[in-house]
Amino acid sequence: MCELCMKHGAGGKWYLNAKHYSDEVVEKYGLYDFLLEQYKNFEQMSVRKVSGFSPVGMDYRMRMPIIGRIIKNMAGNMLNKQRFPKDPFKPESHIGQIVPMEDAIAIIEECAAEPIIEKNCMCRYMSRGEKEACCINFGVMSEVISQLPRFVPEKDKFHLTRKEAVERFKAHNRKGYIGTIWFGPFPYINNLCSCESPECAGIRPRVDFGIMSVHKAEYVIGLEKNRCDDCGACIIKCPFNAIEKDPYSRKIKIDLDKCFGCGVCRHVCPNDALFLLPRDIVPEVAGKY
Amino acid sequence: MKKKTIIKIDYSLCGDGVKENVDPRECCKCLRICKPAIFLLHQTLGAKEDNPLDPECWRVTPLWASLCTLCMECVKACPANAIQITQK
Ligand code: SF4
Ligand code: SF4
Ligand code: SF4
Repeated sequence: MCELCMKHGAGGKWYLNAKHYSDEVVEKYGLYDFLLEQYKNFEQMSVRKVSGFSPVGMDYRMRMPIIGRIIKNMAGNMLNKQRFPKDPFKPESHIGQIVPMEDAIAIIEECAAEPIIEKNCMCRYMSRGEKEACCINFGVMSEVISQLPRFVPEKDKFHLTRKEAVERFKAHNRKGYIGTIWFGPFPYINNLCSCESPECAGIRPRVDFGIMSVHKAEYVIGLEKNRCDDCGACIIKCPFNAIEKDPYSRKIKIDLDKCFGCGVCRHVCPNDALFLLPRDIVPEVAGKY
Repeated sequence: MKKKTIIKIDYSLCGDGVKENVDPRECCKCLRICKPAIFLLHQTLGAKEDNPLDPECWRVTPLWASLCTLCMECVKACPANAIQITQK
């Protein structure tokens, strides 16, 4: 069981463990049927009752001091469960983490099970009605998606080679989309997404309500001050509003607590002043995911 | 106490698979215009469960009313005049 745990830090990256992508896991849990059931009506997940409660209107309850905390803990625990769920209609054991481009490439090159596809992002579809091909899927998930026409891109390529998948991911990341990798459900990894906030249904609960729906990356941003000329290009790019200009000195200031370590700010810096550091060597944020 | 925003969509005008109604999948105007993206497009609960691979019945639910900024852009954009926003 231990190798399957969601380890953080000290080189323990759960998403670089090839076991989580394996056919062994697919067969053990009958994942084809489970995922087909789950994704047929995927968009309904956010409006179905969970333990008798309808999620519609839950956001106001989550803002109440005591009840809010209880609901948020319950939701976080459900998503973070490290056990294969029985019910495909519940968002259980569906936890993810932010990954910078380098780790995403390692996932595609070394871990991802074939076939590899790119599907229309279901979050953008259900929150904007837009079909944008930018979610890279692996293994049995790819087979399931090929049964569901609304997720199959009309213009873009559906089946990708590893190399193509890397190129697609890089393009999304450079645009400023946040790389995320997900258990879907634990212990199977099948989704490497390129998300946006507030559209992403996995990031929103964390950013807007403080629910542990996605973990911060194994990294945090660093700034080489003498390279930075305070142009501010990174401020607009950061999807988590972690960068600002100090109102007095007009110098770039990073709020490490707000930084999710996605690394997309680096792509726009004309001076290469931004770089990622392993989270566990930066004392202010070590162990804080 | 802070007021609560109540967003209602009239499903006799938008969604629910009735032919005369707007199909929200074709329209999506409210979904696109809303800055905080508070709407959710989904298959209507309980609809067409016998053939969920090709469900005809979709609707929009205002899922995150607490994040609404009351800009009223969705109300203006809705071609069916189906959205109503009040505060309580
Ligand atoms: S500051 Fe942190 S959260 Fe913001 S873009 Fe850079 S790495 Fe991502
Ligand atoms: S009033 Fe504005 S913020 Fe509120 S739901 Fe409509 S578009 Fe969104
Ligand atoms: S804008 Fe109006 S008609 Fe169009 S999807 Fe939204 S509620 Fe329905």
